[in-house]
Amino acid sequence: MGIQEQYRSEAASLLSSGEVKLVIGFGAGSTADRRRPLFARTGEEANRFVLDASCIANLSTYLLTEGLLSDGKKVGIFLKPDGIRSINILIAEAQLKPDQVVILGYAIENGQLTALEGRSVADFNGVNEKIRSLALPPAVQQDIERLEAMSPVERFQFWQDQFSKCIKCYACRQACPMCYCRRCIVDVNQPQWVNTSSHTLGNFEWNIVRAFHLAGRCAACGACDRACPVNIPLRLINARMGREVREAFDYFAGESTDQKPVLASFSKDDPETFIL
Amino acid sequence: MIYNPFPMRVVSKRQEAPGVNTLKLEFVREEDHEFFRQNFKTGMFGLYGIYGEGESTFCVASPETRKEYIECTFRQSGRVTGTLANVDAGDIVTFRGPYGNRFPIEEFEGKNLLFIAGGIALPPTRSVIWSCLDQREKYREVTIVYGARTVADLVYKNELDDWKKRDDVRLVLTVDPGGETPDWQDHVGFVPTILEQAAPSPDNTIAVLCGPPIMIKFTLAALQRLGFSPENVYTTLENRMKCGVGKCGRCNVGSVYICKEGPVFTAAEVQAMPQADL
Amino acid sequence: MTRILLKNKLDDCIVTWRNAGYSVLAPVKRNEMGSFSEVQKASDMSLDLILPERTIKDRFFPQTEPMIRYKISKQQIDTETMTPPDTKSVCFGVRPCDAAGLEIDDPLFGWDYKDQYWFKRRNNSVIVTITCTASDDFCMCTSVKLSPESTKGSDVMLRPLSNGNGWQVETITERGKALFDSVSVHLSDEKAETAALAQVPVRFNVEQVMEWLANPTSFESQFWKDIALRCIGCGSCTFLCPTCHCFDIQDEGDTYNGIRRKNWDSCSFANFTMHTSGHNPRNTQSTRWRQRIMHKFNYYRGKFGVNSCSGCGRCTRQCPVDMGITETLQAISNLPR
Repeated sequence: MGIQEQYRSEAASLLSSGEVKLVIGFGAGSTADRRRPLFARTGEEANRFVLDASCIANLSTYLLTEGLLSDGKKVGIFLKPDGIRSINILIAEAQLKPDQVVILGYAIENGQLTALEGRSVADFNGVNEKIRSLALPPAVQQDIERLEAMSPVERFQFWQDQFSKCIKCYACRQACPMCYCRRCIVDVNQPQWVNTSSHTLGNFEWNIVRAFHLAGRCAACGACDRACPVNIPLRLINARMGREVREAFDYFAGESTDQKPVLASFSKDDPETFIL
Repeated sequence: MIYNPFPMRVVSKRQEAPGVNTLKLEFVREEDHEFFRQNFKTGMFGLYGIYGEGESTFCVASPETRKEYIECTFRQSGRVTGTLANVDAGDIVTFRGPYGNRFPIEEFEGKNLLFIAGGIALPPTRSVIWSCLDQREKYREVTIVYGARTVADLVYKNELDDWKKRDDVRLVLTVDPGGETPDWQDHVGFVPTILEQAAPSPDNTIAVLCGPPIMIKFTLAALQRLGFSPENVYTTLENRMKCGVGKCGRCNVGSVYICKEGPVFTAAEVQAMPQADL
Repeated sequence: MTRILLKNKLDDCIVTWRNAGYSVLAPVKRNEMGSFSEVQKASDMSLDLILPERTIKDRFFPQTEPMIRYKISKQQIDTETMTPPDTKSVCFGVRPCDAAGLEIDDPLFGWDYKDQYWFKRRNNSVIVTITCTASDDFCMCTSVKLSPESTKGSDVMLRPLSNGNGWQVETITERGKALFDSVSVHLSDEKAETAALAQVPVRFNVEQVMEWLANPTSFESQFWKDIALRCIGCGSCTFLCPTCHCFDIQDEGDTYNGIRRKNWDSCSFANFTMHTSGHNPRNTQSTRWRQRIMHKFNYYRGKFGVNSCSGCGRCTRQCPVDMGITETLQAISNLPR
């Protein structure tokens, strides 16, 4: 039995036994190579789940849909290691109760799918142990190196060109599991912290504010990058912020559910190199 | 350009209730004033603004029979109203309008008028009340039912006193239970209840009803029990607006653009709208 | 006999137009994004794109439009009205769907109060459209009663020649005719075969959709809740739409100097309809998606006699969660009735 059939029947039995009220997975999309999020509430609906190498989206963002988990019931969800990592961060930030999530884990390597052992959040320590060694996709890695090799002036020009494309549709924010603020800072107008206008300055403000807010919180899933309708390579900036945090604090976001959020906690051993 | 507002000079500011102020504004430029004189009818609204903060939508609280000034009354709640509440006489603010439709007060001539308002919704009602009282001979009996949460929350207290003294106006004042003061002489109770007790006759009567959604809902039911048909009940709707001229796309209830087709509707028209969009 | 514009004469045309004071805009792919940008020469253009990510609408209704510059001092407030530049422009290589989008939006910007920002640019522009010989899985013009050769909103229609060397020129309006008369020396008169048009399948029955939407019971149908479950509430579909026109007005600056701007806004955003009191008439994603569909295929038609969709398919093409108008309208067409 292939992984798709295995997970369809697991999802179906989770639903029919009443263990979960909903399973969030993937269904067929509008074209042969597209997959779209699918929400199954019955065993029958679970038969429409698709699981293959095109299922790359990080569905954990849906777990924070307003009201979804407020009834205390459980939800099943298809997750890759980056999604599990996102969930660890959300739990560490007290946004999610571990016992409300049943994970249908899978990994994609070289186009091949493997099922990940375990169902509850606590079962994925094996995944957590690997987070330190998780490598970014080679193409992303190359882009990062290309950026690092630039002079500051060139790099600024690069980001200026990229951010000038931004239309402030906030798809990056909406696709991101970590962007769960009920009221985002750009929607606050007393005071108006960030210009709402989508000119280059306003776009810089938005994207940099978001990058700072994701420092030490990003699961490197690439959801923002894929969501961007004007193709801004957002994951590059988040990867760099992640590296800064790793180097300064030896902190890998999402390694476990009992991490203390690095920029929201203080330790007397914290480096103070940034204090001039 | 259609989004350019008129500069307005603040003549005076009066505090009506905690957090509620009335501004009296005069036109800086004569041509703007002339435009307003020609176009303003009771029920219309405007966008009041202050450069650096933005614009906020509320009604013109002064009547169409008095167009020397614009008066507006608003609760201090957001960025714009918070700043407008802190202006002083002589300061420059802006006004864009008048926009929207109006109360068809010519059609009310020869009829009894029943005005019902709750809390901060007296301002739009006040515009039409004075528009009619300033031509008192054209209308028959005038009844005003006004309620607020507490005595302190009643707005236009001086005018309430005036209306109370007039023998050609019947004023029914009420505050919510618990909102009365020891020397409060008028009613205690919610507007729909007090209205039913006052029992105005629906015969040849037009009702104008403004208030928060929950009050509108229960008052409409009370009016229907009193025998008013929804065609003879007028109310106003409010929604968030940015342009005021039917373009920015946010104020519609179903297919109805509040800014263009409203803000004045009959209860029958409101009932025909998709209620889930209100 | 029809007039032909050969590709190798396009540079001459651009020079003539530029010398006559036009700026020439065309689809340009730059930094992984296609948009209508000013070009100096034909080789700057990316005319092979099925559609650029960004629409031509952006050039008429920009994402941020400065309207009033204000300067506040102790004594007074000085304001200066900001208007679009007087530049005339040739929009070259527009697709029929994008051109139609402009005409669809005209009545909205014109009813009662005329939005001068929109119309100044409209009046200063000539739309030179190229018919589509290729389409993708998301194109849906034929579903909304347009086609790869519909002339709605176009001043000139160019039909690609089958030999790939140029275009057959068909002028639609006086403005278009004048533009191409000005470059007649660069046009040739010959008989040439035009390439086959793209075959865009009809993906839903728009009449059925309109009928269902017009039924008052549809407003509170469970359908909206189900279809909008996966909508994440970004504004990507609205901002890439050739007909979406919603906007916000914002003051921006420091305490004493600033600019009042008209900025794109989206019915997908929770804040869009939020009252200061906290009441929000459209407080869930399903009510917001319903508004978007109702607005496009019911309300707009009621006001202006036309649906507010020209079938470009960008809403689906660029949606992060593979939603869009096509899927929703297909689902409505398939509802049991």
